[in-house]
Amino acid sequence: MLFDATVDGRTLRVEVRGRDGRYVVTLDGRALEVDHQETGPHFASLIIGGRSYEAGLEKRPDGYNVVLAEDVLYVEIRGASQGAAAAPRKAATGPARVVAPMPGRLVRVLVQPGQQVEAGEGLLVMEAMKMENELRSPRAGRVAELLVREGQTVETAALLVVVE
Amino acid sequence: MRPFKKVLIANRGEIAVRIIRACREMGLPTVAVYSEADRASLHVRRADEAYLLGPAPSTESYLHIDRVIDVARRSGADAVHPGYGFLAEKADFAAACELAGIAFIGPKSETIALMGEKTSARRAATAAGVPVVPGTLEPVEGALAIRAEAERIGFPLMLKAAAGGGGKGLRLVKSPAELEQAADRARSEAQNAFGDQSLYLEKAITHARHIEIQVLADHHGDAVHLFERECSIQRRHQKIIEESPSPFVTPELRDRMGRAAVALVKKIGYRNAGTLEFLVDEARTPYFLEMNTRIQVEHPVTEMVTGEDLVKLQIRIAQGEPLPFRQDALTQRGHAIECRIYAEDPDRNFLPSPGRILALRVPGGPGIRDDSGVYEGYEVGVQYDSLLSKLVAYGFNRGDAILRMRRALDEYKILGLKTTLPFLDRVLHHPSFEAGDFDTGFVEKVFAQSDRDRERPWDVAVAAAAIRAHNDRLQARGAGEVAAAGSSGWQRRDWRRSEGPF
Repeated sequence: MLFDATVDGRTLRVEVRGRDGRYVVTLDGRALEVDHQETGPHFASLIIGGRSYEAGLEKRPDGYNVVLAEDVLYVEIRGASQGAAAAPRKAATGPARVVAPMPGRLVRVLVQPGQQVEAGEGLLVMEAMKMENELRSPRAGRVAELLVREGQTVETAALLVVVE
Repeated sequence: MRPFKKVLIANRGEIAVRIIRACREMGLPTVAVYSEADRASLHVRRADEAYLLGPAPSTESYLHIDRVIDVARRSGADAVHPGYGFLAEKADFAAACELAGIAFIGPKSETIALMGEKTSARRAATAAGVPVVPGTLEPVEGALAIRAEAERIGFPLMLKAAAGGGGKGLRLVKSPAELEQAADRARSEAQNAFGDQSLYLEKAITHARHIEIQVLADHHGDAVHLFERECSIQRRHQKIIEESPSPFVTPELRDRMGRAAVALVKKIGYRNAGTLEFLVDEARTPYFLEMNTRIQVEHPVTEMVTGEDLVKLQIRIAQGEPLPFRQDALTQRGHAIECRIYAEDPDRNFLPSPGRILALRVPGGPGIRDDSGVYEGYEVGVQYDSLLSKLVAYGFNRGDAILRMRRALDEYKILGLKTTLPFLDRVLHHPSFEAGDFDTGFVEKVFAQSDRDRERPWDVAVAAAAIRAHNDRLQARGAGEVAAAGSSGWQRRDWRRSEGPF
């Protein structure tokens, strides 16, 4: 199923495939393999890349407040609009920091420092969970910082690229 | 010595529950009082008896002295525990109890009056040889007098309500230009909060730590201190994380502050548990701020490291029992941290966030204590303080206690309203907190900046929300198919009827 998810003013195209606990969630072209169990009417246990997360979910009219240990995020969820990319609800502003969503190896670097990129354009290809995932630019702009090289192994949340 | 027969708890929320627990463990029957807004509150459910005081506004209920005394009479309670806040530091209430022949679990009414008026407390401290923050020892009236005193003390300075406490009627004044407006606001805040608009002035101690000393004093002239609590992690001038011991306090400073505290309480004929608050500057010079003549919100950290139950000791002291130990029998063992869980939105300047508690999961395991006043399904109202619970972690040392608190915060889940839980989790992971390197400006000046630019776990959040939406649609579709075909199609696992791992 295709959704447009808006979080922190950024809209992503999200595809969810699977059922009964095993899913592949693709966030703007980046695939996450998710083992998911509902653990109560307002809770879910997620295992992503071997990491276990407990998420609280508060239903809101247009989505969910997702309560994690260190933060609470409001995720607006809509059935995907027609066309290739969803229009962001509001224009992204400020530099966007692209971080590693999971531990893995960078198999390809697709951009150079200083290069102009479009929103959704591929920046890096990362290998994790035996899958190659393209990390895309969350916004249009210039590659201000490229902090990694091909072949490098990175940890979750490592800063990879800054687009401004 | 006169053992009590029944104790009325003139409070609500977590502290009322805490006191009820102590009483029950002592075999003492308990009487709860409640406002119309609190019929379903936990303290009403936990007490042996419960009586309605009046409508929701505190002045009509928890602050209504005659009604509380009347319930004590009707229920046959011979002692009243005031908790903190509400009537705890109202000399009139203690006097009314004395008059009605009901034991007030606290000091004498005149002691409350002496220490409650902040300038008379400063004079008492000075007389006992306890250093106070430089400033005025009398309330200052009028714009001209305030300006003259301000010029004498110098800027930056603090304007404070003489009748004050809890951060109300408090203003930091950085320059002479700000003085007049700040004084006007402090005065009106003080008038609203305490019904008394008089102010006094103190030099502002910059980069100060807020460190307090717990004391216990009995009716027989004996007094001890139970060491310090570090309370420098504050938001909006109100504490949110406390610990004992303080990572900043040396054995010499601890001894010096403890002796000063005991000297002061002996001098004023104090009896009850009490707390002397100090500011400690960068040179480790302590300045007495004020004394709280009641149980303190953060008392559990002291209980964890000393192994003593302060609420039970308050009751025993009020019964006329002598202190069961001497100073040299008391030690600080290990380390304890308390995190205050408020119904507030830290991302909106800690705005209160009332609402119904949709789901509640409380941590457990070694060294964890949860002093809560709420339950799943409870409606957190807007009428009273938004403190939901106090989470306390005990460890063999500070590092151990921090690790334990982090994992307990991870386990703690409150859904349905915004709470300080995620904020507390991030503070516990901040390198300056971990290093014990902070002062009272930490949250506003250090933490807030790094926190604004934090990486948010949006990918996990989006995955969780999208899968839930996906499953909801599959279920809706499945239900539709079932209805259409009249056969048992695929249905989403119903967790409630599941035979799974529950």
